[in-house]
Amino acid sequence: MFSENQSLLSRLIQNLLLIIYSIFALFPLFWMALITFKSDLQMFNTTFFFTPTLDNYKAVLIGTDYIKTFIDNVIVSGGAVLVSVIAGVPAAYALARFNFKYKEDLAFTILSFKFAPEILVILPLFMIYQKLHLYDTYLGLIWVYQLITMPLLIWVVRGYFEDISVEVEQAAELDGYPWYSVFWKILLPLIKPGLVASALLAFIFAWNSFTFSLQLSGFNIQTVTVASLRYIASDTVHYGQMAVAATIAALPEVILALLIQKHLVRGLSFGAVKG
Amino acid sequence: MAKLILKNVFKRYDDRKKKKGGKLADFAVNDLTITCSDGEFVGILGPSGCGKTTTLRMVAGLEEITAGEIYIDDTLINHLHPKDRGIGLAFEDYALYPPLTVYDNIAFNLRAKKMSEADIKKEVMRIAPLMKVEELLDMKPAALSGGQKQRVNITRALVRRPKLLLLDEPLSHLDGKMRQILRTELKRLHKEVGCTTIIVTHDQLEAMSLSDKICIMKDGLLQQFGTPYEVYDDPVNVFVAGFIGEPPMNLNKVTITEEDNILYFSFPESSVKIAVPSKYTKVLKTGRHVTLGIRPNDLLIAEDGSPVKIAVFENLGDEKRIGIRIGDEYLTLITSDETLYKQGDIIRIKVHEEKTHIFDIETGDKIRA
Amino acid sequence: MANIELKNVTKSFGKKKALNDISLQVHDKEFFVLFGPAGAGKTTILKTIAGIELPEKGLVKFDGEIVNLVEPAQRNVSMVFENYALYPHISAYDNIASPMRSPLYKKDEDYIKERVMKVAALMKIDHLMDRLPARMSNGQRQRVALGRCLVREPKVFLMDEPLAHLDAKLRHFMRAELKEMQANFNTTTIYVTHDYMEALSLGDRIAVINNGQIEQLGTGDEMYYTPVNEFVARLFGEPEINIIDAEFVLDGGNKGVRLLNQIKSFDIPEDVYDALAATGKTQFHIGLRAIDLNFSFERQSEHDIHGQVYSIEPIGNKAVLNVDVNDTILRTVSPPDLNAEMDSDIFVSVNMKNAMFFDAENHELVVRHNQSQYTKAVK
Repeated sequence: MFSENQSLLSRLIQNLLLIIYSIFALFPLFWMALITFKSDLQMFNTTFFFTPTLDNYKAVLIGTDYIKTFIDNVIVSGGAVLVSVIAGVPAAYALARFNFKYKEDLAFTILSFKFAPEILVILPLFMIYQKLHLYDTYLGLIWVYQLITMPLLIWVVRGYFEDISVEVEQAAELDGYPWYSVFWKILLPLIKPGLVASALLAFIFAWNSFTFSLQLSGFNIQTVTVASLRYIASDTVHYGQMAVAATIAALPEVILALLIQKHLVRGLSFGAVKG
Repeated sequence: MAKLILKNVFKRYDDRKKKKGGKLADFAVNDLTITCSDGEFVGILGPSGCGKTTTLRMVAGLEEITAGEIYIDDTLINHLHPKDRGIGLAFEDYALYPPLTVYDNIAFNLRAKKMSEADIKKEVMRIAPLMKVEELLDMKPAALSGGQKQRVNITRALVRRPKLLLLDEPLSHLDGKMRQILRTELKRLHKEVGCTTIIVTHDQLEAMSLSDKICIMKDGLLQQFGTPYEVYDDPVNVFVAGFIGEPPMNLNKVTITEEDNILYFSFPESSVKIAVPSKYTKVLKTGRHVTLGIRPNDLLIAEDGSPVKIAVFENLGDEKRIGIRIGDEYLTLITSDETLYKQGDIIRIKVHEEKTHIFDIETGDKIRA
Repeated sequence: MANIELKNVTKSFGKKKALNDISLQVHDKEFFVLFGPAGAGKTTILKTIAGIELPEKGLVKFDGEIVNLVEPAQRNVSMVFENYALYPHISAYDNIASPMRSPLYKKDEDYIKERVMKVAALMKIDHLMDRLPARMSNGQRQRVALGRCLVREPKVFLMDEPLAHLDAKLRHFMRAELKEMQANFNTTTIYVTHDYMEALSLGDRIAVINNGQIEQLGTGDEMYYTPVNEFVARLFGEPEINIIDAEFVLDGGNKGVRLLNQIKSFDIPEDVYDALAATGKTQFHIGLRAIDLNFSFERQSEHDIHGQVYSIEPIGNKAVLNVDVNDTILRTVSPPDLNAEMDSDIFVSVNMKNAMFFDAENHELVVRHNQSQYTKAVK
């Protein structure tokens, strides 16, 4: 009996700690949502009790071209992830399956793209982009975003490919399937959890990217992160409008993060080979 | 050298560690009472999850005992710290310290006891020849083969002069040939050191060949405790009968029928029947369903037997195995007879009367004459 | 249904030679076993036939046609992989149906259903058809893998250690079942194993592979009774064959061999004597299977070898009795209920009629009694 009481107590403490942590983690989000309904006047002299207003939403959604920047962001981030998936999955397969010279060096180089601070490469990139007329184009941003999305995708998906026994592929080949069917019917379903999770994560990283879009675009194309700066005027900061922009920008991420959870469950490939 | 007694030992893990779907009050070890005499080699045998490793860990002091008592030489050791129990332990995975040489690995425990280097050397050199590791003493564990590592591992356990040597699946990582060699050596070692030894294994062959006595467990319950020949020749229930022996005992569902005042074991959905040995005629009633157990060696080819058709004939050199299908039941017969049969041949078989086992179909317990 | 032929096939992985000039011919409808220790190259041979591995040199022929450049899918073979290689994301039914749904071997769904259910009944896995591989035991996965192989009627079945990961009991039953089914196969089968019992039981012919080379090719009886060298002799039989030094003695009328420093020499059959004398050598190795050594605790004849009981290991229906004769261990078998103290005196007699003699230098078989009786069954 004693041991059961003890475990009940420890579970209670565990849950309590988790609740405290989640309050701590969620509070900034909650605060941001709260101030979207505050007018600039009430911004600093009220905390939880104020007269809610939708003026900030009106100002952001109707008064500015915020919706266009939102769509731009979708195009750029989505495009970047799409390119990464199309190029990254075959690359991950090659890194997982084939043995060639400098394989590990190549894999590490790809990963190292994520190490360098963006600000370090931005200046030369800016000049190159000007020359190539990639500055302020969708293509240019999608291209440079590969630095963010590609390494993540390749490394996660490579791990999934390595988990699939090569014999499973060989069995499918002997069953009479051409290579593309082996890929679609056997490999794709098995790497799906990893592919979906890493693609969603990559999308979030691209979505949040600030430095690249700030420096390499600006007039025709503007992303939400850059657009949020607009609400800092020379004389005053419109915190309410900024919060609206940030809240709307955060929405897709929150939704995607919830989606990822389900796909992070590994284990589909368990049981394919002897246990 | 010591006597080990386990008295009504229970072990229950707290509810969260229990397997899914487990019933309340699941015991990993349930009322285990065994006595290992001084110098005995005892095998604890059972399928995975039967509680054998838990038992060993309780003896070693690595696991708390829920209820019951464990004695070494009449001293209650329930609350003794593992290091004070006088136990040498060798695990399945070798757990050698990789940066140390074999010598240092073996000497490690002695150094912890602050023994002088000269004494340590004497102790190591006393045990090393017994396990044939003298030539390995200067090597690092990484350079050793699996068999050598396990030798070092056992040497390390023995060098502390334990009262009790505990071995947890020491041979299961090794390939067939090496396993056979180490098995013989373990047996010799035990003869020479004379230390009371307990080995935990899931391999009945290992338990049979090494142990003086075997303790067979299933679902935390002791099934039978006896010499290898006892558990082989006189299994107490259908589980032990099926677990001990390779190829396994033929265990077939039959019905008792009567014809001209003679009782027969009748196989369902077939006309094959085998006469019931006379000693059982009093305990078996017509119409009763029982499990008939016959070792493949105790099924005999005989002129006056019942005719059956050969489903499989295997010539394995040293012996021949014949597979017989009767309805849904399958029987194996082993013979060293030189005759070469073919699939489909008819042979006449009968049973070795003294070696026929009958088990209750519900409880699985042996029915004795 | 096909003859498979390998001609001088060579293949390396990096610096390691996996296959070294392998030539063999598998006849139509034959059950052919590739047998040898781990890492011998057996699986590589199988994969070369399947077309998954490509030989560096040499030809692979199906029915006389060179298929080196034919894609694996086009070779019409089906294979059981050692690790089963089931598709983890689809049910047992879909796994087994998979070869018949591919563009190459396309069948209609009604036909597929009929075939799959037939194979499932044969493998006794009908009740598992909806289950994913992750939710099966090893034995069940192995049956599904076999089912996927047997569902088609290819030119050749390739089976790579299909029983290796099962426990001893299940292996005994599955081996018997395979043997029973074998009669209905009607298809060439090439089977890889490291278990000598599987090799002897299943194989019409056996090729013993070691270090990427064929040591011996022949029937099970040939392997067991007339192994070409000591390596092959050691592979068959449990406990392992005793191979010890034997000295050929020619003093006067005493035609025989002397073992283990015994004073008395052993008489040997006439044909063995002639063959040993013809070599002109005096040092040989003698191979004696455990069942050809008999023991007793009292001296029965002057030829008995005196030794001590080294260990007795009961293994069920028999016990392995090791006898120490001047630091040489002889393995013999005894009844399981033998009661003898370790180190007690024991006398061993030798059945010289079944002894095999090997060359002491190159370890190849020189002769055994009635040798032609075992080899005339060839082909």
